[in-house]
Amino acid sequence: MRDPGIALDEAAPDTRARAVEVRLTQMGLGLARRFGDGVGGRLADRVLRVLSDRHPRAFTALRDMPEAHLLIDPVDAPAAVLLRVGPRLALRVCDRDGPAHVAVDAAVRGPCARLLDLLEGRIDGDALFFRRELVIEGDTALILALRNTLDGEDMDLFADMATAAGPLRHALPLARRHAGRMLDLLGIARRAAPPPLRWGMVALERRLGGKPQGS
Amino acid sequence: MMPLLTLGPVLFNWPADRWRDFYFRMADEAPLDTVILGEIVCHKRAPFFADAMEAVVARLTAAGKEVWFASPILAGNDRERAAMRDVVTNGLLPVEANDMGALALLAGQPHAVGPFINTYNEATLAWLAGRGAMSVSLPAELPASSVAVLAKAGAALGLAVEVQVFGRAPLAISARCYHARAHGLHKDGCQFVCGNDPDGMPVKTLDGQSFLTVNGTQTLSHGYLCLAGEMERLAAMGVSRFRLSPQAVDMVAVAAAFRAVLAGQRDGRDVAAELGRLVEAPLENGFFHNLAGAAYAAEA
Amino acid sequence: MDSFELICPAGNPAALRAAVDAGADAVYLGFRDETNARNFPGLNFSREDLAGAVAYAHARGVQVFVAINTYPQAGNLGPWERAADDAARLKADAVILADVGLLAYAARRHPDLRLHLSVQASAANVEAIRLYRDAFGVRRVVLPRVLTVPEIARLNAEIDIETEVFVFGGMCPMAEGRCSLSSYATGLSPNRQGVCSPASHVRYEPRGAALASTLGGFTINLFGEGEQAGYPTLCKGRFLSGDRPAYLFEEPTSLNALELLPELKAAKVRALKIEGRQRGKAYIAAVVAAYRKALDAFAKGQALPMLNLDAVVEGGAQTTGAFKRAWR
Repeated sequence: MRDPGIALDEAAPDTRARAVEVRLTQMGLGLARRFGDGVGGRLADRVLRVLSDRHPRAFTALRDMPEAHLLIDPVDAPAAVLLRVGPRLALRVCDRDGPAHVAVDAAVRGPCARLLDLLEGRIDGDALFFRRELVIEGDTALILALRNTLDGEDMDLFADMATAAGPLRHALPLARRHAGRMLDLLGIARRAAPPPLRWGMVALERRLGGKPQGS
Repeated sequence: MMPLLTLGPVLFNWPADRWRDFYFRMADEAPLDTVILGEIVCHKRAPFFADAMEAVVARLTAAGKEVWFASPILAGNDRERAAMRDVVTNGLLPVEANDMGALALLAGQPHAVGPFINTYNEATLAWLAGRGAMSVSLPAELPASSVAVLAKAGAALGLAVEVQVFGRAPLAISARCYHARAHGLHKDGCQFVCGNDPDGMPVKTLDGQSFLTVNGTQTLSHGYLCLAGEMERLAAMGVSRFRLSPQAVDMVAVAAAFRAVLAGQRDGRDVAAELGRLVEAPLENGFFHNLAGAAYAAEA
Repeated sequence: MDSFELICPAGNPAALRAAVDAGADAVYLGFRDETNARNFPGLNFSREDLAGAVAYAHARGVQVFVAINTYPQAGNLGPWERAADDAARLKADAVILADVGLLAYAARRHPDLRLHLSVQASAANVEAIRLYRDAFGVRRVVLPRVLTVPEIARLNAEIDIETEVFVFGGMCPMAEGRCSLSSYATGLSPNRQGVCSPASHVRYEPRGAALASTLGGFTINLFGEGEQAGYPTLCKGRFLSGDRPAYLFEEPTSLNALELLPELKAAKVRALKIEGRQRGKAYIAAVVAAYRKALDAFAKGQALPMLNLDAVVEGGAQTTGAFKRAWR
């Protein structure tokens, strides 16, 4: 009935831009984790609200699902996220073992770049399972449902966040346009920066991470 | 309606002598009402026992059994179509159609509909009745809830509804021969390797767990479907024909056991327990209980 | 003679737009329930989605076919009948049906609705196809994947309705609509629930460096370290018959009959179908565009372009399947 395949590389965004996005995602997760449940939780709520407003079909479908918890674990990032589907749809940053008090129904673990592909529906539904770089645990149907639902959208996490109101509006398109340079600069700056500059970079990371300002 | 016991066609490639002797013994000893003959899996096998067919029909008929002729499950190429046409136009025996093509050729004649025609609901059953079906044998994968609806609808339409109660469940048919493939052969030069496995070729998972049975182009369950414990419930639903599918076990004993259940002389659950000891593979009734077909629900 | 019609899959509105934009002549799809044979979680169309899909496709001269190709449940015909009613109401160009009860209903209630016979009906011979034509006015039959090209040619010489064949994508080695392997292992079947080897019954288990894929508790495959893993579709699994592990039924390959276009044309096949309603929109866009390009070249009598579709099939493994006798 269904047949294996692999994802189409041509469907992936510019690899340099993706590398920036991966870096930003890793930073965002790290920051949200450090901020703790209060601020980090507000950040996650914000991401979910923006995506939900922009993709009502998919998010209605996710709310129509029976309640279940899906752990999405980017193994190359400092933290994981827990997605609760169902009427009480929610997103939370957590440890990669999942929150202690929640029974996780399914987990998908893999490099950040692959998981962004998953979120944006860039990985083919079947192909998801063939890449050994993604590890799938627990309820396979839950993961497939999420993948299929997201594939029905033309979702682009960073573009969506960028066009939404907030501090990312200007930072992200710029980051994308200058993806290559940005990546190099971040890398060089991180390695070479003297302490005061490093402090400045934390501020930049904060801005890019979308920490709510006075909201 | 008096419940009837049917013996489905032998699905496996038995040598002609064994095939003939099996039916002679069924004629003489097995308490069956209807016996269905015919090679329905692979037309290449049919010539082997063609010579014995006449004697078998005569012996069964003389023993008071009604004899039907079944059409092939798959009739794609010209030779398979010719085989299908030969069955339908045999002019002697009633026909059980196992493909829509055979059904088309039976237009206007009373006939039986076999389990390989997809009868899943009452609308289909009504359509079949309107074309002259006298009885319909249901696909093995139907759960009790569907069987109940169809048995009731069948009674209203005046046709008999049949359910398989014993033997490996047929699961799939293909143009490809898996027996040949497993032996590194092509279907056209198969050397009739399916003849090595009179009860089918076992297929195990990589863990060594018994799983399926290959019979040439056909795939069956590993376990034996057994609804002995459910006979009372089936009869109460209005199912009036009960099909046994021949396996390489003592089918006279099997037929006698099911006959005793139908006659109210034995408890179906006791018979199921006895059959569990008679056959080497596990018993299965999962399809009927709306579970995986491979499951066995002890609660009948 | 007219050029081939290219029939393309869509599992959601985004995939439909991708197929239309990439050059489909028609897109086939199903509702979000057990009335179609790709009833997978998160997939398929609401009534509202279908209305939008029809508007989008029709505005671009593309047809929409609605697959209602499972077998209605005894005592619960409503969902299937409503699916046919809604497909007709929302101006689908055809419905693709398998069950004779449902065909009878659709022919009676919607005499103007174009009926196609699903591959799930497994109509493999002239006699069966004529019966569907005469009894229900079926206009096109999707042929089961059990016939060789010469057999299709002989069939088309004897029937007067259109035939459609699968040319690309996943391939059942079994006759479609006549397979209970999935329900044997899981209780859920293509015919009843519209699922095969459902994800709800799939588990991946690490076993040391190896990875096992299981279905309903049965091990369907075992992948060594570094070996590309596969989804445990039952008939594409590795099993033991005797002592050697082997792909007993079918290798995990993908059908690609592109090289057979001249033969399929000579066999008077009307429409070519791409499998994969469960596949992502990226896959659909790539495959449809490639086939569009090939069909356009073929219609102009040009050499068939080299299509690089290896990227979309596992391990680049492609087969012409049952179209060639050697497959058997």
